Amino acid sequence: MNDRLSETFGALADPTRRAILARLASGEASVTELSEPFAMSMPAISKHLKVLERAGLIARGREAQWRPCRLQAGPLQDVAGWVEHYRRFWEESFDRLGDYLQELKREDAGNKNLKSKTKESRHVRRPGKK
Amino acid sequence: MSADQVRNSAAESSANKISANAKTESSEWDLVITRVFDAPRALVFKAWTETRHLAQWWGPKGFTNPVCEMDLRVGGELRIHMRAPDGVVYPMTGVFEEIVAPERLVFVSSALDGDGKSMFDILNTVLFAEERGKTTLTLQARVITATAQAPQYLKGMEMGWTQSLDRLEEKLATMSD
Repeated sequence: MNDRLSETFGALADPTRRAILARLASGEASVTELSEPFAMSMPAISKHLKVLERAGLIARGREAQWRPCRLQAGPLQDVAGWVEHYRRFWEESFDRLGDYLQELKREDAGNKNLKSKTKESRHVRRPGKK
Repeated sequence: MSADQVRNSAAESSANKISANAKTESSEWDLVITRVFDAPRALVFKAWTETRHLAQWWGPKGFTNPVCEMDLRVGGELRIHMRAPDGVVYPMTGVFEEIVAPERLVFVSSALDGDGKSMFDILNTVLFAEERGKTTLTLQARVITATAQAPQYLKGMEMGWTQSLDRLEEKLATMSD
């Protein structure tokens, strides 16, 4: 299953294949129907379909001669689960970033005070400007 | 009108629909996270691009970053070793693809296995937009490659940080008993 997942990502990396999947989301279609929107030869489309099939993203009917393509939801769910882990990584990091930025803001305000102090300290030491 | 022309015009109209879909910057298989921070974007950008700051917030709660180095230029590297609360260290590297201070940061991040080989590469685009002193940060991530270990890695890491929360919950549960 894990190997399939990496294949799924590879298959999804291509915009044409994503468009094919988007089309199949609204129902099964033949290779001819799928190739229509693209300025691409049938063999080129067939190649894309093979990649999608190998990744388990689509299944092709055996019954009819036109072998309709159908979307397979399983691998997409695996990808969604995986992406969800990555999302949580960032959500957690951003929680911390938010807190840390508040600290930085205070520190920054402090630094400004410090700067004006050191500038002035060459002459007479005076309290920093507000 | 020839049959070909009919076919072409039909193809064109659906092509417009589909290519608009395909060209969209994000797809449902990408990750897009937006967060508003109560800080000017120059500061948020600084928190991302200076390691002394980055090390303070990178990673989930309870994580530390004993190694945090970066060479902030296009082609420059980012190297972070995250240490989970359970002690496990998760090394990662990154390469900067685009740096437009203080509004845009693009880098490829890779999680490394025990042999230092990449388990997955993700293209991250971080956008910083400021409005009235607040910064809207948008992170867009797209998986470029992923190996078989990738899911285990993220799962393991997540356990590293949820474990401490679970322990706390268990404690609270026994306390209320």
